Amino acid sequence: MTIRKLPAGVQDMLPEESRCLTVLRERLGRVFALNGYDTVASASLEYYDTYSDIRNALPQERMFKLTDTDGKLLVLRPDATLAISRIAATKLACGKARLCYFTTKWDLQEAGGLSSREIEQAGVERLGEEGAFSDAQTIAFSIECLKGTGLRDFIIDIGHVGYFKGVLEACGLSEADEERVRAYINRKDGLNAERVLKRAGAATDALNTVLALPALYGGAEILDRAERLTDSAVAREAVARLKEIYALLCDMGYEKYVCFDLGTVRRLSYYSGMVFEGLAKGLGASVLSGGRYDNLADDFGKHVPAVGFALGLKRILIALERQGNLPPAEPLEAVIVCERGAESAAYRELLRLAADGKRVRLSAEYGRAAARAAKGEAERVLFVTEKGIEEI
Amino acid sequence: MIYFALSKGRLAAESAALLKKCGVDASVLESDTRKLVLTSADGKYGFFLVKPSDVPTYVEAGVADLGVVGKDTLMEENKDLYEMLDLRLGECRLCLAGFPARKDALTNPHLRVATKYVNTARRVFEERGEEIEIIPLHGSIELAPVTGLADVIFDVVQTGSTLKANGLAVLEEVFAGITARLVANKVSLKLKSEEILPLIGKLKEVIA
Repeated sequence: MTIRKLPAGVQDMLPEESRCLTVLRERLGRVFALNGYDTVASASLEYYDTYSDIRNALPQERMFKLTDTDGKLLVLRPDATLAISRIAATKLACGKARLCYFTTKWDLQEAGGLSSREIEQAGVERLGEEGAFSDAQTIAFSIECLKGTGLRDFIIDIGHVGYFKGVLEACGLSEADEERVRAYINRKDGLNAERVLKRAGAATDALNTVLALPALYGGAEILDRAERLTDSAVAREAVARLKEIYALLCDMGYEKYVCFDLGTVRRLSYYSGMVFEGLAKGLGASVLSGGRYDNLADDFGKHVPAVGFALGLKRILIALERQGNLPPAEPLEAVIVCERGAESAAYRELLRLAADGKRVRLSAEYGRAAARAAKGEAERVLFVTEKGIEEI
Repeated sequence: MIYFALSKGRLAAESAALLKKCGVDASVLESDTRKLVLTSADGKYGFFLVKPSDVPTYVEAGVADLGVVGKDTLMEENKDLYEMLDLRLGECRLCLAGFPARKDALTNPHLRVATKYVNTARRVFEERGEEIEIIPLHGSIELAPVTGLADVIFDVVQTGSTLKANGLAVLEEVFAGITARLVANKVSLKLKSEEILPLIGKLKEVIA
């Protein structure tokens, strides 16, 4: 008996929530447009190989798969950034663009809590841009986007994948062990990270630096601490870049919105430079995530340095609700009811009011009784007869 | 306000004692009550007393900002959260145990492993590339090899007296240093850092 049910991890959005989502999209769309971003939409279906035959392949167990008529394997869009990177490398002549999107991505994960299988996203990608100023602008813009959604209490947590890479290089781990250590460090689990590092025979110095990573979070002061901890040129370069970004953000007036965490190293590892997450009060998980991914498009045949971020719209709605700041409903200004024979007059009145920017509904019922029954549905009830319009 | 999720039972009492040493008014935890949400007299802290395996769930969702829970439970539940501190309470080991004479059974590709740590056991053997059959149990794990239900067990061992009394022995210590951990919600740590970080600092001093 599944005819009336939905599969796990997906939801219907009922009118009230759907309205809030629409308002949220409108608010973000305006912020995107005013800042010079052009919209783009990628296809929902793509070849499985696009996501599996690249260096940073997505895990196959996380992709929804279908079979094409020729037997080829397809996937439902599993990642927005990868799709746009493909478009940038294969279809944009100059390789430079500022793009924004509203899209859905699908994730074949076990859903529950704040995790869903059908994920509504909005995001921006700045293609063909390099440098700390571009990074800082992206973070600043992400703050403006969160402000634009109506969220009040939030912070942007900034890290850099280069620091972890540099520090880990000195340990000489296999790729599989590196991934294990990354996962443990990401949850600040020193015990298991140490176990893997010791088993792999990492040198004591290198081991101690890796085990210091989980505590490397807080204000900008941790950047100095991070610099002193390592001799790795890659890691020090990463810290230098973060300092540059931070100085720019302070100049732009965003100091109070940012903090740092060098121990945050997420799995989706196409990121090549600074990474960041947006954290909002009232929600236990991030509402926004992004970073620099300079080498992603190489797999699609063109080098396009880029930076961007995506916002999780459902999570933002949940945070807005918990902060008591959901967009208010727009009231219905009038209901129009008519008597038989006055249909066209009533319809003309509807068009007139709507053209005036009023929210109006024309009833499908006839007569004065229907007009009286409509009281309470809107601020005004208009009754249209052959003689004219009266307010009930 | 900081919310704690604590594991019901002895660990809650020990956690409360530790928190008191850090200046947290946790005396409300000593009262005998059926209330599910306890609030400290100064209104600064809230406490939820939950089943140990539910602590990571409350913290991951951000319903609780901090939690105290055993490392064994953390590994088994594998939630997205931060492990902040080793509180060094209730130390034990996660071991493979069985009859010493049948130690070579460890190399059996279809080893039958009885455990309540189903996910952890699966991960451990997957990493080794060994195929096993997991027999999920909820208690009295030692009974499984004794009755022939399983070849070995994968369980926490504190003193080893239950094993000994049933003629079993530790075959391999898989994880040493299984202790209670202070865990934090990923967002709370950053957004409530002014309240949480000093508390973690004090806890560090107390357990040092």
